Amino acid sequence: MPGERSSSVGAVWAILIKECRGEWRTRYGLNSALLFAVTTLTAVSFVVGRIGERTDILAALLWIVLMFAALASLAHTFVREVEGHTLTLLRMIASPTSIALGKLIFNLLFLGVLEAVTVPLFLVLMGGPPLHWARFLEVLGLGSLALAAAATLVGAVIAQTRGRGALFAAVSLPILLPVMAGAVSGTRGQWNGVPVDAELRLLAAYAAALLGMSLVLYDHLWED
Amino acid sequence: MSAAVLPAPAVALASLSARELAHRYSPRRGLEPVSFEIEAPGVAAVTGPNGSGKSTLLRIVAGLLRPNRGACALRIGGREIERGARRLSVGLATPELSFYDEFTVGENLMFAAQTQGLADPRGRVRESLERVGLWVRVGDRADALSSGMRQRLRLAFALLHRPPVLLLDEPGSHLDEAGRLMVARVVREQGERGLVLIATNDERERTLAGRTIELRGRGLGDPD
Repeated sequence: MPGERSSSVGAVWAILIKECRGEWRTRYGLNSALLFAVTTLTAVSFVVGRIGERTDILAALLWIVLMFAALASLAHTFVREVEGHTLTLLRMIASPTSIALGKLIFNLLFLGVLEAVTVPLFLVLMGGPPLHWARFLEVLGLGSLALAAAATLVGAVIAQTRGRGALFAAVSLPILLPVMAGAVSGTRGQWNGVPVDAELRLLAAYAAALLGMSLVLYDHLWED
Repeated sequence: MSAAVLPAPAVALASLSARELAHRYSPRRGLEPVSFEIEAPGVAAVTGPNGSGKSTLLRIVAGLLRPNRGACALRIGGREIERGARRLSVGLATPELSFYDEFTVGENLMFAAQTQGLADPRGRVRESLERVGLWVRVGDRADALSSGMRQRLRLAFALLHRPPVLLLDEPGSHLDEAGRLMVARVVREQGERGLVLIATNDERERTLAGRTIELRGRGLGDPD
């Protein structure tokens, strides 16, 4: 029998690889998220054209597109297990914390791929002042971490509920408001050349709080 | 098809006890209080009418379900295994166990073996598939399996980590004669080395067991 501690890292890794392989084969989440991002950006650019120097609108639009493109797919990592009746299998081979951590890391990678396509497309279509890359990537990284942590936690909690689609939106929106506020303000700040340390601290603290809360809650999930 | 060479039989010091164990999903559904004590080596059949709580009892023993009342203790080598760690000592084959349709039979079991941190996962996958006669379908996608083959895969999954305690919920369902003989062989082998609990109302499966735990739940027959 494997030792509990020694198997935890391996379990997280195996679940992460399983998630990546499953997404690569079905491309369900990535295709729909990318389609949403590209369609939204293209539609907005046709309607309003290049936004140029309006950094407040640019920052808000970027994070709205990222958030809505990502949310449905991020929550789906758990919902898919419930709808495919594979949650019992997962629970028999890994602890809830290992399962959730594997899915959290997958969600972060998923966000990274989504952003690698969406951000350049956004900059091309919407315009805007030159980026301060280091600051921008810090805001993007911490915002993504908080977004993934929140979506994974809420996805895990609502996965076995009825009407989970509506519940996910209702529960995740208030949890995500501080993330959106910090990320939008930080993104705008780096464009305007003002310090964004406060926003970075907010995002880091919020992501840390969400991750800490998740680690406490995950072992109590899915009690019938 | 050759049966896998089993490791040298070593009788696991396993014991399972239940004291006034009960669980309610609703006022009229669940497991009525039951008490028993069984020790390895041996096979016990759990019987009772539909809805009397046979599957519920197995879920409680596996650690997937926290009972409303009473206590259930699993001891391996004299040490009580806490609920969250029982998956390491228990193999569960139940109709509600599903596999990832986008993966092959071998990939599903490799994922389980790697997540459990088993040594020589490839060897374990081959061994468990050969034991249930499914090695020839190792490369087939899970969604291409017939219901009988899925049942064999469930059994292979339960045997994968060579657990000292095996929980089988209606193991012969969907199986042909050869499959039922395979189940009987596996139950006999496991029963000589550890503990097997079979939830069944099939007379042939009942005869595999040395003792019977009869659940006296109301089932569908007496709603009052």
